[in-house]
Amino acid sequence: MLKIIIPTAMLMPMTWLSKPSMIWINSTTYSFLISLVSLSYLNQLGDNSLNLSLLFFSDSLSAPLLVLTTWLLPLMLMASQSHLSKETLARKKLYITMLIILQLLLIMTFTATELIMFYILFEATLIPTLIIITRWGNQTERLNAGLYFLFYTLVGSLPLLVALLYIQNTTGTLNFLIIQYWAKPISATWSNIFLWLACMMAFMVKMPLYGLHLWLPKAHVEAPIAGSMVLAAVLLKLGGYGMMRITILLNPTTNQMAYPFMMLSLWGMIMTSSICLRQTDLKSLIAYSSVSHMALVIVAVLIQTPWSYMGATALMIAHGLTSSVLFCLANSNYERIHSRTMILARGLQTILPLMAAWWLLASLANLALPPTINLIAELFVVVASFSWSNMTITLMGTNIIITALYTLYMLITTQRGKYTHHIKNINPSFTRENALMTLHLLPLFLLSLNPKIVLGPIY
Amino acid sequence: MLRRTLLLGLCRGPLGRGLGTHRGGSILDRDGKMSEIKKKIQSILPGGDWNPLYDTSHLPPESSDVVIVGGGVLGLSVAYWLKKLEKPRGAIRVLVVERDHTYSRASTVLSVGGIRQQFSVPENVQLSLFSIDFLRNINEYLAVADDPPLDIQFNPSGYLLLASEKGAAIMENNVKVQRQEGAKVCLMSPEQLRNKFPWINTEGVALASYGMEHEGWFDPWCLLQGLRRKVQSMGVLFCHGEVTRFMSSSNLMKTASGEEVNLKRIHEVHVKIDQSLEYQPVECAIVINAAGAWSGQVAELAGIGKGPPGTLQGTKLPVELRKRYVYLWHCPQGPGLETPFVIDPSGTYFRREGLGHNYLGGCSPTEEEEPDPGNLEVDHDFFQDRVWPPLAQRVPAFETLKVRSAWAGYYDYNTFDQNGVVGPHPLVINMYFATGFSGHGLQQAPAVGRAVAEMVLEGHFQTINLSSFLFSRFYSGEKVQEHNII
Repeated sequence: MLKIIIPTAMLMPMTWLSKPSMIWINSTTYSFLISLVSLSYLNQLGDNSLNLSLLFFSDSLSAPLLVLTTWLLPLMLMASQSHLSKETLARKKLYITMLIILQLLLIMTFTATELIMFYILFEATLIPTLIIITRWGNQTERLNAGLYFLFYTLVGSLPLLVALLYIQNTTGTLNFLIIQYWAKPISATWSNIFLWLACMMAFMVKMPLYGLHLWLPKAHVEAPIAGSMVLAAVLLKLGGYGMMRITILLNPTTNQMAYPFMMLSLWGMIMTSSICLRQTDLKSLIAYSSVSHMALVIVAVLIQTPWSYMGATALMIAHGLTSSVLFCLANSNYERIHSRTMILARGLQTILPLMAAWWLLASLANLALPPTINLIAELFVVVASFSWSNMTITLMGTNIIITALYTLYMLITTQRGKYTHHIKNINPSFTRENALMTLHLLPLFLLSLNPKIVLGPIY
Repeated sequence: MLRRTLLLGLCRGPLGRGLGTHRGGSILDRDGKMSEIKKKIQSILPGGDWNPLYDTSHLPPESSDVVIVGGGVLGLSVAYWLKKLEKPRGAIRVLVVERDHTYSRASTVLSVGGIRQQFSVPENVQLSLFSIDFLRNINEYLAVADDPPLDIQFNPSGYLLLASEKGAAIMENNVKVQRQEGAKVCLMSPEQLRNKFPWINTEGVALASYGMEHEGWFDPWCLLQGLRRKVQSMGVLFCHGEVTRFMSSSNLMKTASGEEVNLKRIHEVHVKIDQSLEYQPVECAIVINAAGAWSGQVAELAGIGKGPPGTLQGTKLPVELRKRYVYLWHCPQGPGLETPFVIDPSGTYFRREGLGHNYLGGCSPTEEEEPDPGNLEVDHDFFQDRVWPPLAQRVPAFETLKVRSAWAGYYDYNTFDQNGVVGPHPLVINMYFATGFSGHGLQQAPAVGRAVAEMVLEGHFQTINLSSFLFSRFYSGEKVQEHNII
């Protein structure tokens, strides 16, 4: 594990000591190398975990998330080059440092063994993200967005700290590897119900669950591109990952306690998808679609069947890559037209045909076209929830249709039709942008050839 | 040595000296940094006047999809139609930047407020026809919940254009065009004129055209306030400031015929706050130039006209300020309530104002006697020399008039062909014009606003085809000359 952590930490002095012309090149290349190193962790042993040290371990659930995190850093750096070009050198280096610190904390979070260490790093990831959103965001509303983001997560996770300390006191350990085997079934007393709530609320807010999702559209829309990418792709998955880890301790209370959250997720899925149909701001549309996809993950984790866990893991990876590429596409639009409103930039297919191809592929992935892993994941979740209760199929089916509707609406509004007069002179697509989209979409589509990597420990 | 340092440290250290006093230099304060830090700490402590969370509510937002430069009737009309015609409601964010909230020099409120369809260019007739429909149904268009309905005091008294022998043939042609477009105009001979309007002296008049419906005058201030109220309720932001700079980026591109053009797009508008050095850069996708008489200056800020003359880059926006006077007089023996808006062949015009035998009128000066547009001072000699004699000749009752008051206003005068400029600029591709109407902007504002909004949202004119009013005619030289200009 040190072979990933130390190079990531050393990326910081490398950024500060690089020549001005080389900061982007150095940081992007070396973070790429680190991500290629992390690919070795995908070589997992069945349903057991790869125990690397007392502090770090990785199993088939955390390894794909780890690879996603390390893969995303070079992509974030590539995406940020344009909007930071006018800043001073020190600011650019500071921005890159924030991204690297965030990366470091995320890597350690996904591979932590001790749940307290996981908690501390989980909270610590808020700080660089907050700095990125409030300092480099686009509008004045970013202060409000940062506040919402920070306080929703903090308030949700304070009970988690208390619960973890309580579990440490009663069970004697919070080391995940041990607690898997020591977890005793807990009865449904009031205190255990509160324990369940305390453990789960932090992750519910992070996912986010439909009733607690208010911070997400704000944070996503106001964040700069790298902030949006890392928020959508990785930080939301922290919630899913945490839920999947902590539900081991909470059986069988989950069977009763899950009901209200299942209702909220199932209903919220449809609500947020419908909101997407009425969105005029492109980034806001993609943010709400994230809520909708994550609601599927919540449903899957709360059902706790083998198929649903496989679906949840695959959906996290698939959604990470898909929504990250959609944000990059929206950003490439924004950098040219300086507005995020969809109807002001129409008919881009005639002007930027290659970018239209990426738009098409990303949209097709978003609406879970076979044989992408998006489809495999959604299908597993839908089938598992059907077995949990037959009624959910109507809601899930409606959600799939509405997802297809808003994704195609987004595609057709931005790409098809006659272009507007004021976008005639936009810059053609840069190689950097095309490379960015390829590097997102290539893993996504290659994974459909071998999805068992991302199907988690149950496979 | 040590003793001296100790002495200095004990007696003349920075805090020992008292904040703010500085005599000579101590070792600790050699470059003045310490006193700066002290000043800063002093201002942060309670009682100081530094506030880290400074109030920015007077500043415009940091970004807006559409920035409309100018908050007169044309600017507000464009804002209204943009918000009305946008497909998903609330999609576009519009910011209207107006530097004078009292509208003290705006052409809209200083206007005489007439509306007519008697133009020679068919597009002008269509524009006025739609505008009168808008004005007649203004409370359906501009209704705001819980607010009283608007009363624009439309007097449908019609326009009476008089033509001498020379202009009679042109007038007949014009009336034919107007009738084709749907205006209700009738031609009158001097006999019929004398029968209908006994107060008129038909000497020198060969033909007259009288608008029978949809013509008259109204209260421009009411229209402005109605639009402002409605537009604010639709979510348009207003900013009290002045546009001082456009930041643009340009791309060298090749047209289909192979020639190279430099297409610019404005990506930021610097709005300077009134009576302050503060400015806010507003990131925008589209800029609409509706600055009225000052549109030429705004266009120059965007770099329109900076190039070798005779090329498209060097074609300026030919809109400039022209001062026009309006006089209000009282004449108890004057024409009665049926008086239309009379326009004499000499260019003098007058109309009835109110019910107390008051009349408004004026005359457009010729090119040689154009007054200096630097201020809005009224020249009363102009009335004595240029306005009164033709008036008195045309309406003998006006020999005994008494001028009550007068004011001056600006025309956004299009020196090229006195017709409006509508639509995008060919080179600065995200600047749209809605200006240059040379005295008939108020009456065509609702229709022009709709046309510009269609151009912005759809890319082409949908209801009224104003493609002959585009900017490119200044370069290609195709004049759309309007003959019936007051």
